[in-house]
Amino acid sequence: MKSASAPNDPWEPLPKAGWDRAAAGHLLRRIGWTATPEAIDQALADGLTATVERAFPVKAQLLPEPKVISELRAASAQFGKDRRGATATQRRNLQREARERFRDALREISLLWLQNAHQPDRAAVEKWVLFLSDVYVIGAQKVRNTVLIHDHLALLQAHAFGSAPELTKAVSRSPAMINYLDLQASKREAPNENFARELFELFVLGEGNYTEQDIKEAARAFTGYRQRDNRFVFARRQHDAGSKTIFDHSGNFSGDDVIALAYRQEAAARFLPTELIRFYLTDQALPEGQIAALGQWWRHTDFDLRQLALRFFQSRPFFAAEFRARFIKSPVQFYLGLMQDLQLDVAPLQRFTLQPLQQMGPMLFNPPNVRGWIGGRSWINSATLAARRQLVQSLFEGIDERRLNADEQVELAAAQSRGSSHFSIESADLARQLPAHDPQTAARQLIDKFLPAAVSSEFYQVVVDALPPANSPDQQDRARLLIWETLLQTPEYQLC
Amino acid sequence: MSHSPLPSPPSSPFPTTRREFLRLSRQGLGLLAFSQYAPEFLVRSTLAGEPAPEKDRSILVLVQLAGGNDGLNTVVPFADDHYYRLRPSLGIPAKDVLKLSDSHGFHPACRPLHRLFQDGQLSIAQNVGYPNPNRSHFRSSEIWETGSNSNEYLATGWLGRYLDNECTGAPTGQDPQAVHITNGLPQTLLAANDHATFGVSGNALGRRQNAESGKLLEKLASDGSDSENSPANFLKHTLMDSLVTEKRVQRVLSNYRPESDYPNGAFASSLRNVAALIASGFSTRIYFVSLSGFDTHSNQANPHQNLLRTLSEGLAAFQQDLKSRRLDDQVMTMTFSEFGRRPNENESRGTDHGTSAPLFVLGSKVKGGFHGSPPSLDLQRNRDLTHSTDFRQVYATVLEHWLQSPAKSVLDSPMIKLDFV
Repeated sequence: MKSASAPNDPWEPLPKAGWDRAAAGHLLRRIGWTATPEAIDQALADGLTATVERAFPVKAQLLPEPKVISELRAASAQFGKDRRGATATQRRNLQREARERFRDALREISLLWLQNAHQPDRAAVEKWVLFLSDVYVIGAQKVRNTVLIHDHLALLQAHAFGSAPELTKAVSRSPAMINYLDLQASKREAPNENFARELFELFVLGEGNYTEQDIKEAARAFTGYRQRDNRFVFARRQHDAGSKTIFDHSGNFSGDDVIALAYRQEAAARFLPTELIRFYLTDQALPEGQIAALGQWWRHTDFDLRQLALRFFQSRPFFAAEFRARFIKSPVQFYLGLMQDLQLDVAPLQRFTLQPLQQMGPMLFNPPNVRGWIGGRSWINSATLAARRQLVQSLFEGIDERRLNADEQVELAAAQSRGSSHFSIESADLARQLPAHDPQTAARQLIDKFLPAAVSSEFYQVVVDALPPANSPDQQDRARLLIWETLLQTPEYQLC
Repeated sequence: MSHSPLPSPPSSPFPTTRREFLRLSRQGLGLLAFSQYAPEFLVRSTLAGEPAPEKDRSILVLVQLAGGNDGLNTVVPFADDHYYRLRPSLGIPAKDVLKLSDSHGFHPACRPLHRLFQDGQLSIAQNVGYPNPNRSHFRSSEIWETGSNSNEYLATGWLGRYLDNECTGAPTGQDPQAVHITNGLPQTLLAANDHATFGVSGNALGRRQNAESGKLLEKLASDGSDSENSPANFLKHTLMDSLVTEKRVQRVLSNYRPESDYPNGAFASSLRNVAALIASGFSTRIYFVSLSGFDTHSNQANPHQNLLRTLSEGLAAFQQDLKSRRLDDQVMTMTFSEFGRRPNENESRGTDHGTSAPLFVLGSKVKGGFHGSPPSLDLQRNRDLTHSTDFRQVYATVLEHWLQSPAKSVLDSPMIKLDFV
């Protein structure tokens, strides 16, 4: 890695002296959901390199397939059989039934994803997969089969830290993508250009780095890519094996050849780094030359995704002061960061998890379009900010079990019996999480623990003034709970 | 409508009304003193002399009965033997019902609603539902709230789309376009565009911490002096906008003296708060409140009776309050629930998830009485009701005849309208 660095490399590693509490906090908040004091201590003890290497492992540990997906997979075969012998009405009913099961399953895997990503040691991997899913976008609006959605995510996870061209090739065979970008309907006589266009525009090169003719020719190479019974199949008879001319090269290119050709284009080196910066660091544009430098280096690693992550997250620009605490949290980051900050479990109740998330801006499996999320300020408006505040308030208010529906009560009891039962803040949390009592120390503790950057002296003073002296413990507790709840609603807490 | 000046808060660094703002400006503080974090509406309307939004327009109050209300035990078909066959223990005896017609009567807990019906202010749309009904709370609520077909998934709510059509680009003034008194934004109000939608957390309304933390938040967000266009300042602006509304709302609510006796409890106080906002002259046209607990799977008789009493007494007090202020002409209140319940009672003296049910439309401008036809109860064991009126017919009627807005831009397919208004 070092040999590829020029002497004036803008992406050189952060100097040792720069690795302090603030830097560690910045790193953890950006690669995961938040930075708890314990996690910062750990990162400082381990050092920057070890922390980043652990966060981005050579191979992401794959999770066992959720039961709901295995069951649906098994049912799909039966579903096909049932359909064949059915009347039109029966078929419609079967269709509807299947749709319902898919929707329920989608909600279930969304909840499972949240519960999984909520674990501190999974956070960086799951956020990286979320990043990749924001590049290789599919949407549940069009891909209604939840098995395919699950498999697409699993595919991104399996290739998350390997070679980018290999990932792109795998995505071209992802049944969900085949469905989402209409490869299914692409035939030798009538190639559909949707996938070829997004391959160049949104996955590998970016707009302006290919011609319409390149797209037309590339589309021919992907004819015959199909999915059947939730699996990729290559329909040789539908495939156009003839000669194509793409990026001024001619040959009997296959789909994989086209992807390899695309990565040989100069723009390929800049494209994913640009997306990476936009997703993790800033929505301001960085100088072209700076990105080009990262891209050139990345090309030398054969577009290794892990190497890119290791270099980027240890680099001087990543830690630049101008980027610290200036990034608006996405709804998922806000939600999961909040749960981690408060040491709360993700409640298995849609009304208390998926619904608030939906109100903050739909995110999981639900991009606004093929481009993915816009991010930044677009996450915030009066309604979504209110939704964030109400989520905080509800966590301090607790779940009123009498107001739950019967099935929610069953879910809640089941979760409690599994030992996951801490869903809202009680006064006992105060003693455990915020032991300080004199106003100054208590104020410092609250601010340091939850806000991403130092605050102004006026801000600090407002917090101190809101705390009664330490000799009135009851009032103190009440006041500290109130400030705690309030700090999580401040503009500062929306930033990371 | 009287529009009394609101007292200014002594401790706030910010003006909360246009009047107050102008007063402070005259006192020499000047516009610039506030322009940095001044709520956008103040800067905009003071600078541009923007016209205020229209007032005195029709208002819709939506009341959600969450959990699935048992329609058959609300509007009881006491002349139908099938009803008593299906409800051996839960059936309301004919002698106890409050008669609405020769065949139907209210549950005895609905006396206040019965009176409104007799006065011609309550209309009952019968047997409302949709084809291919879904029995999941989550999904069926979604269908009702988005106004979709049962096999269709819409990202926006039916009133959200109404706001998209009517309010996009319109002067927003300082009042929210929709107010919901629930925890979290109801799907009904989810919109494609950003609207000033304001939520007063339901059971937390009057939760002391919310008001206190609002005050503290305001102080915390007023620090700093850098004027750069940073994400932090952008967030402060957005937050200040909503805090100002929140404060106005809180003040209106705490100063309100109702003209009728509201019963105790969260639901009645939600309605009281809606009345307060309407009476204070808010230009808001959409209100959403919710009463939950209708998921009565076992031993339903007592809890259902209490819920119906809460509903009836709350609605009657609300209507009386509006009437005393001569605001009743302006307001229509409508109930909905994700589904009715199974005609057959179950083994636990409760009822399971069902399909269609009656809904209520209340107001002095509505045509009282029954609309649509009641369901047939000549059913096999554990079969469900077949709806006769589509809920989107009710929506279309409300949109076109009450909110004066074309239904076709909110609902996909044309609907035959009812004549309750």
